[in-house]
Amino acid sequence: MSGTGIGARVLRKEDFRFITGKGQFTDDVNRYGQAHAVFLRSPHAHAEILGIKLDAARAMPGVIDIFTGDDLAADKIGGLICGWMIHSKDGTPMKAGAHPALAQGKVRYVGDHVAVIIAETQAQARDAMERIVVDYKVLKPGVSMADAVKSGAPVLHEVAPDNTVYNWALGDEAATQAAFAKAAHVTKLDLVNNRLVPNPMEPRAAVGDWDSGQDAFTLYTTSQNPHVARLVLSAFIGIAPEHKLRVIAPDVGGGFGSKIFIYAEETVCVWAAKKIGRPVKWVADRTEAFLSDAHGRDHVTHAEMALDASGKILGLRVKTQANLGAYLSTFSSSVPTYLYAPLLSGQYDIPAIYVEVDGLYTNTAPVDAYRGAGRPEATFVIERMVEVAAREVKQDPAEFRRRNFVRQFPHQTPVIMCYDAGDYDAALTKALEMSDYKNIGARKAESAKKGLLRGIGFSAYIEACGIAPSAAVGSLGAGVGLWESAEVRVNPVGTVEILTGSHSHGQGHETTFAQLVSERLGISIDNVSIVHGDTDKVQMGMGTYGSRSGAVGMSAISKALDKIEAKAKKVAGFVLEASPDDIEFKDGKFSVRGTDKEIDFASVALQAYIAHKFNGQELEPGLKESAFWDPTNFTFPAGVHICELEIDPATGVTRIDRWTAVDDFGNVINPMIVEGQVHGGIAQGVGQALLEGAVYDSSGQLVTASYMDYSMPRAGDLPSYDVGMTQTACPSNPLGIKGCGEAGAIAAPPAVMNAITDAIGHEGIAMPATPLALWRAIQKTAPRAAAE
Amino acid sequence: MASVTLNVNGKSVTRGVDARTLLVEFLREHMRLTGTHVGCDTTQCGCCTVHVNGEAMKSCTLLAVAVDGATITTIEGLAKGQDLHPMQAAFREHHGLQCGFCTPGMIMSAVDMVRRKGTDLDDKTIREELEGNICRCTGYHNIVKAIHYGAEAMGKTGTAAE
Amino acid sequence: MAMTMTGEVALSASRETVWVKLNDPAVLKACIPGCETLDKTSDTGFSAVVKLKIGPVSATFKGSVELSDLDPPNGYRISGQGEGGVAGFAKGGATVRLLPPAEGNDGCILSYDVEANVGGKIAQLGARLIDGVAKKTADQFFNNFAEAVKAG
Repeated sequence: MSGTGIGARVLRKEDFRFITGKGQFTDDVNRYGQAHAVFLRSPHAHAEILGIKLDAARAMPGVIDIFTGDDLAADKIGGLICGWMIHSKDGTPMKAGAHPALAQGKVRYVGDHVAVIIAETQAQARDAMERIVVDYKVLKPGVSMADAVKSGAPVLHEVAPDNTVYNWALGDEAATQAAFAKAAHVTKLDLVNNRLVPNPMEPRAAVGDWDSGQDAFTLYTTSQNPHVARLVLSAFIGIAPEHKLRVIAPDVGGGFGSKIFIYAEETVCVWAAKKIGRPVKWVADRTEAFLSDAHGRDHVTHAEMALDASGKILGLRVKTQANLGAYLSTFSSSVPTYLYAPLLSGQYDIPAIYVEVDGLYTNTAPVDAYRGAGRPEATFVIERMVEVAAREVKQDPAEFRRRNFVRQFPHQTPVIMCYDAGDYDAALTKALEMSDYKNIGARKAESAKKGLLRGIGFSAYIEACGIAPSAAVGSLGAGVGLWESAEVRVNPVGTVEILTGSHSHGQGHETTFAQLVSERLGISIDNVSIVHGDTDKVQMGMGTYGSRSGAVGMSAISKALDKIEAKAKKVAGFVLEASPDDIEFKDGKFSVRGTDKEIDFASVALQAYIAHKFNGQELEPGLKESAFWDPTNFTFPAGVHICELEIDPATGVTRIDRWTAVDDFGNVINPMIVEGQVHGGIAQGVGQALLEGAVYDSSGQLVTASYMDYSMPRAGDLPSYDVGMTQTACPSNPLGIKGCGEAGAIAAPPAVMNAITDAIGHEGIAMPATPLALWRAIQKTAPRAAAE
Repeated sequence: MASVTLNVNGKSVTRGVDARTLLVEFLREHMRLTGTHVGCDTTQCGCCTVHVNGEAMKSCTLLAVAVDGATITTIEGLAKGQDLHPMQAAFREHHGLQCGFCTPGMIMSAVDMVRRKGTDLDDKTIREELEGNICRCTGYHNIVKAIHYGAEAMGKTGTAAE
Repeated sequence: MAMTMTGEVALSASRETVWVKLNDPAVLKACIPGCETLDKTSDTGFSAVVKLKIGPVSATFKGSVELSDLDPPNGYRISGQGEGGVAGFAKGGATVRLLPPAEGNDGCILSYDVEANVGGKIAQLGARLIDGVAKKTADQFFNNFAEAVKAG
C-alpha cells in the first residue's frame, strides 16, 4: 500500500486547479468565432402565442439570427422527453404532454422558452430581445395543485384534461385497511414538502459547435451525465446520430440533480450551431436558473399510521399530491413514485403500507430530481409520523424508533425494497451518546432560564442508492439501464488512466477513484488519472446522481481491475517462467508462490507492451480492460441525525446548537470526502427546513427568483456538524460501498422540524420555518408543556 | 467605447471596451482570466470577488470604467508560481471546496477578512463575515475551518502583512 | 403578481372642472409618472409610452390606455396595459370617483381604487419592491393631478 489506498484521508487531486482559478467550467469554454444566444422567455404563466414579430429585432446591431419553435419543427427536431413510464393504478400510461424546446403556440410557465436570439455578443442579443413583440392571449393559469385539480380548471395539455399525469399506487390496500381496523391508536398528519430550487453555484451553460467538414457536432454542457445527454439528443430529439455528436461536460460547478436533465437551451444551442455555421454559446443568469432549472420536492401529503397498544407500528397509509410542473422533465415521473413510495417503510418493520400518488400538471417550472429525489420526501413523511406518534403515545422518540426497527436482514418491506444489510440500533446508540441525549432535560432548563425554547429532533433515515439494477428499474418503467462502465488503461510505464462513465461535479472522483486503483495496483495516486465527462473518450456511461458513483461506478472500475490483474498475472507468468496460477499479486508486486522471484507492476506493464516474452498465439499484447457493472440490488445507506436547537420566542429566530450525524455508508474510500458530502447534504436539508421555498403568486409569477428573495443558507445560518459513522458492508457490490451523497439532505429536514415542534410544543408549523412563520406558530398555541 | 487601464495581477493592461462592460466581463472576456466566476446577478453570491486596490469587491456589479486606474488581484494572481498562498493551501488542506465554483471568491474574501479582522479568527466572526459568499456544496463547516487555519498561517508566514 | 390600493385626495376645483381635466390627454400625460407619450387613438383610447423603474429593473412600457364607464362628472374607470419587453408586463386599472366636498368645503374629493398586475422580470427581481413602487406611483399621479387642478 502506498498510503493513498482505500480508507485514507487523502487530499483531493482536483483541488489545485480550483484554488488557483484554473478550473475549466462550461462558461470558460470559448470557441473561435462563437456567437451568443439568449432566450426570450414567457412573462405569462399560461398563454397562447398569437404571433411573434421579429423584424425590428432582426434589424438590431450584431444580430445573426432568431429562431422560434416553428424553425425547430421545420427541421424535425423533436421535443424534450420524459424517460420513465409510470402507469396509473387503472393500468393506463401516464399522460405526457408535448414538450417542445421552443414553444409552439402556447406557453405554460413563466420562463418557458419562446425564441432564441443569436448575436455577436450577449449584450447585443439582449438588446435585440427587447425589440421582439409577442402577441399573447393570456389564459387563466393553474398555479397551485389545488387550483389545477378544481373542476373547470384551465387545461395545460389536451392529453391530460384533468391536469393529472397519473394516479399511481403502491402496496396492499386491503392489508393496510385491516391493520388500521385493529389499531389501538392512529396518528394522522398533513404535511407539505416545500418546493425548492436546486441552485448549484454554477448556472447552467452550453456551447454548441458544428464541424462542417465532418458534419459533426460538439456540445459543451453543464451536465451530470453527458452520455445520457448524447443519447437523448441523438435518439429522441434527433440532433445528430451518436457517432456525429460529442458531448463534453467539463468541470461542472455542482448539480444536485438539476444538471441530470436534458434541457431546451443545450438542445437549441447545438442545433443552432449548424443553422448559423458558427459556435453558439449560452450562459444562464441566476434568474434564468430560478425560472428554468427543474425545481425539487413540492408534495402535499396526508399520512396515517396505525399502532398497537404497545406502540408497535401496524400499518401506514399515505396519500400524496406531487407537483410535476408544466411539462414532464427527464426523470420527473419516477421521483414521486418509485423513488419515493418504496422508502416509506423507513428503518421500521411495518407489516402493511399503502401509498397513493397523484402527479399533477401546474403552470410552474418542471419539477424533477433534487438531491435525494423522492427519498427526502419519504423520509420527511415517515420520520415526522414516527416522532408525532411517539409523542401521542407518550413514548421517548428514540425508544419508540428502536422498538420498531428492522432487525433481521435481508428484510423485505411491503413496498418493493429488500434491505440487505444494516444495524439501526448501533447508529441510534452512537448518536444518542454523541449528542449527550441523557442531559437534554438540563439543557432545556438552561435555555428556558434565558427565555429560549430548546428542542431536540431525530431522523432515522434510510435511502435507496447505488441506482440501480437495470432489469429491476426496467420492470418499473425506466427507459434506460442504470449500470456503469469503466475502462482501465495501463500505460507501458505503469501509470494508469481510468475512463469512467461517472461524472464528478464536486464529489472528488479524481481522488477517490484513484485511491481504489492505488489500493488495488499498489501504485501512488499521482500515477493515476481519471478521465470523465467526454463522450469521445469514454465510450458510454450513465453519469452521477442517486449516490451511485461509488457503489456502481467504482464497482465497474473494480471489475475492470480484476481483468487487468488476471491479464497481468499471465504476463508476469511468461516473464517469471511460471504458471499464471502460481503468480501472486500483492503490494504492487507479482511473485511466484513459494519462491523469491518477483516483478513489479510497472515492469509487467512494460512487458505487456513490448511483448517479447510471449507470442501472439499465447497472449494479446497490451494491458487495457473494460467492464460494465450492473448492480444486483439498490444499496441502503441509513443513519440517525439529531438536531438540537434554540428558538427565541420573541423573534421566532432559530439557532441550531448542535448537529449529530451517525451514518452507515458501508465501506468508506476517503473519510474526508465522505464527511464533506454529509456536511453539504445537511446544509441543504436545513435550508429546506428553515429558509428555502420557491413561491409562485396566484398569477404564476415566480416571486423568489433571485438571491434577494430566495433564502440560500449562508455560513451564519448553519452550525458545525458532529459526524460519526457505523459500518455494515454492502453485500451487493464488490467494494461494500453504500453511497453518501444524498444522506444529509434526506436526513436533515425532519430532524429540524421534529426539534422545532418539540420546542414549540405543537405540530402546527410547516417548512420553511422562517422566523415569521415560527413567531406566528408560537403565538397561535400555548406550548404543550404549559397545557399539560 | 471607453478606454480602461487596469493593473491586473501585476501587469498593466489597457483595453477599449463598451462602456457598460462590467469588471468581471473585463477580466473574463477581455483578459481570459476565467477564475473569477459569475454565480448570480444581484451581488449576493460572491463568486466574482476580486481585490480592487487591496479590498475585496464583487466584480459583477462594478463597471470596468468605474475602476479605471485601479490595481486588481484575481484568484490567478494570488499564488506565487507553484507556491500557493496560505489561504489557498488551507482550503485544500481542510477540504474547503467541492465543486470549486465558489472557491475563488471564497478565498479572495477570506484573504480580505484577514486584512480587516486579523489572523486570529474565531468561528463566529468567520461565519458572519462570509455573509456575502454562498457555497452550495460544503455546508461551510470546512470552509470555516480552512479560513481559521489559513488566517493563522498568513500570520505565521507574514503574508497577512503584505 | 397583483396588488391593490385605495385612497382619496381633496381637490380645490369643482367636479365639473376636474372631470374635464381627467379627460385631457395633456394633463394625464403630465401627471402619469414617467409618461413619455400619450396619444389619443379614439374617443376613449390612448397609446402610451411609460418609463418605470422598479428596484433593479428599469423598463419602458408600451401599451394602451382605455377610459370606460364614463359617468360625467361622477367618475370613470381608467385601465391600461403595457409590455415592457424583457422586463415583463404591467397591467392595471383604477376606478376614479369624484365626490362632493365635505360640508363647508369647496372643490371635490377624488377617490381611487387601483388594482395592478405585473409579470416577468419585474415580478422576479422586484417583487418585494412592487407594493412600494405602485403606491408611490399612484400617490405621485394623484398629487400631480391635484397640482394640475390647483394651477387651473
